[in-house]
Amino acid sequence: MRIQFWGVRGSLPVPGPRTERYGGNTSCVEVSSAAGTRIIIDAGTGIRRMGKELMRAEFESGKGAAHILISHTHWDHIQGLPFFAPFYRAGNKLFVYARQRDDQNLRSVLSLQVDSPFFPVPFHKARAEVAFRELHDGAQFEINDVVVSCARLNHPYIATAYALSVDGAKVAYIADTAPFTDILFGHEFIAGPPSPRSLLSKSDHKTLRTMRSQVVRLCEGADLVIYDTMFTPEEYRQTPHFGHSRPSDAVEICHDAGARMLALYHYAPDRSDAEVDAVLASTRKEAKLTAPKLDIVAGFEGLDLALGKG
Amino acid sequence: MDVTFWGVRGSIPSPGPGTVRYGGNTACVSVRLPSGELIILDCGTGARNLGISLLAGPFGKGKGSATLLLSHAHWDHIQGFPFFGPFYVPGNSFTVYGGRSGERLLEDVLERQMAAQFFPVQSFRNMGARMEMRPMGEDRDVRVGSATLRAHANPHGPTPALAFRIEAGGKSLAYASDAGYGSDGPPQAAVDLYRGVDLLIHDSTFTPEDRALRLERGLSSLEDAVDCAARAGVKKLALFHYDQDYSDHDVDELVARGRRRLAEHAATGIEVIGAAEGLTVSL
Ligand SMILES: [Zn+2]
Ligand SMILES: [Zn+2]
Ligand SMILES: [Zn+2]
Repeated sequence: MRIQFWGVRGSLPVPGPRTERYGGNTSCVEVSSAAGTRIIIDAGTGIRRMGKELMRAEFESGKGAAHILISHTHWDHIQGLPFFAPFYRAGNKLFVYARQRDDQNLRSVLSLQVDSPFFPVPFHKARAEVAFRELHDGAQFEINDVVVSCARLNHPYIATAYALSVDGAKVAYIADTAPFTDILFGHEFIAGPPSPRSLLSKSDHKTLRTMRSQVVRLCEGADLVIYDTMFTPEEYRQTPHFGHSRPSDAVEICHDAGARMLALYHYAPDRSDAEVDAVLASTRKEAKLTAPKLDIVAGFEGLDLALGKG
Repeated sequence: MDVTFWGVRGSIPSPGPGTVRYGGNTACVSVRLPSGELIILDCGTGARNLGISLLAGPFGKGKGSATLLLSHAHWDHIQGFPFFGPFYVPGNSFTVYGGRSGERLLEDVLERQMAAQFFPVQSFRNMGARMEMRPMGEDRDVRVGSATLRAHANPHGPTPALAFRIEAGGKSLAYASDAGYGSDGPPQAAVDLYRGVDLLIHDSTFTPEDRALRLERGLSSLEDAVDCAARAGVKKLALFHYDQDYSDHDVDELVARGRRRLAEHAATGIEVIGAAEGLTVSL
């Protein structure tokens, strides 16, 4: 199993000298199996360069196939899709997956992005064959040789975590999520942090506990967990209602799941390269006590990992 | 009049070591009038850094006001809107002018960008600042504070894009991002809009060779920009809205070619610069 990082940023792309090393493109990770199954998780701006790379091989002649798993449809997870070159070549086969919604189907949500007046090329002009598949929380299915499992995350409008197993290895992708403690996110707008007196209801507590244990199960024994670590502890105190985690949350989940390696991911737009270095160093230091066996890396554009065989 | 570039890229932000000098953020320019009033041209991802710098002043205390002019609703001109910090400070007030963007009104366009599927704030009504949306009249003068504004709709693929002229305190600026003129060049109304300005910021997405391959995109080459500047007799031309695949080196080449093209026009009095993030041009 090969894993390549193409975009590691949250919220919006941040070009410039401060983000040159880790990269300023939004969320996108590629997972490929030894047998050649190609799975792309999230379609932030990082997918543009990957698409150009794919066009050097079978996608150029319209003979490529890829599966795109979308964690949720916030901009930073879909905004690269209209710039994914393989879409515009007839013959390519693209399968797009995301959580099923009550109100709107996946195709129409993604169509909105490329409809007038936002983008000049509507979906029906994309020449590739595009198929959509909607997933329920907890779904498990196969993409060729890869087993995919899903779990619900705690994020505004609800996001999906994925775990992919193939070639004797397992990777879990958890963006975006808040910790499972302070706020239960759903579809309603949350304007600010919860007031100190407003306690979570018993049933919300239970829902969050269940959600967390399902995420831990999803990460069970994973060789790599890619986890939303957008906030510092101080930032989380100020904006818990934005729906993102701290590195310590990621370490706890990995520890409970017995995962081998954690990749910090989905950095806040303000986080400079030097600050990511510092976050990595302090996370490693703290984890020496709390999760001594866990290997910790910081995701960056161009990070290329081989797990299991192949 | 101080004109500052916050985003100079077209289509999609292009982070990476290859774009650090000119910058990878999408279209956003701020104009500080001699009176102190602020006008913002387009709201690509460059708007985020503009917002951060404004929060250090009155906008941080909810005492700021500005006029925002939107050329059109393609992503690279509005995608910074949800990330513009001053929108989240109650007390700030903004007047947003835009075209009709096809059949959809400005408010509807911005509201759809903020919808729950796409952004956690769910509605620009949840942002805090006071916002008033107004359709921009075309080809006639509109008075906004101490400035006189005029807009003209340029052809731009399937949707038009507004070009703007701003005059204040005896200085003038024209902003023409995303212009895809026909084979006979810019229409007279566009040239009239740019006529004699101190600074023309003009779409120069492509080299002429690349433009010929992508005519349907409705964007300009550096030659279109230079020809407009020469015909309109402007004082200074800033190339703008570079293709996402162009590196700093490629943009250097665009600027050099622009200067050579001007020499062919024998319009040597015009200065050509390449717009770059962080650059301020004082008129
Ligand atoms: Zn995100
Ligand atoms: Zn544009
Ligand atoms: Zn455009």
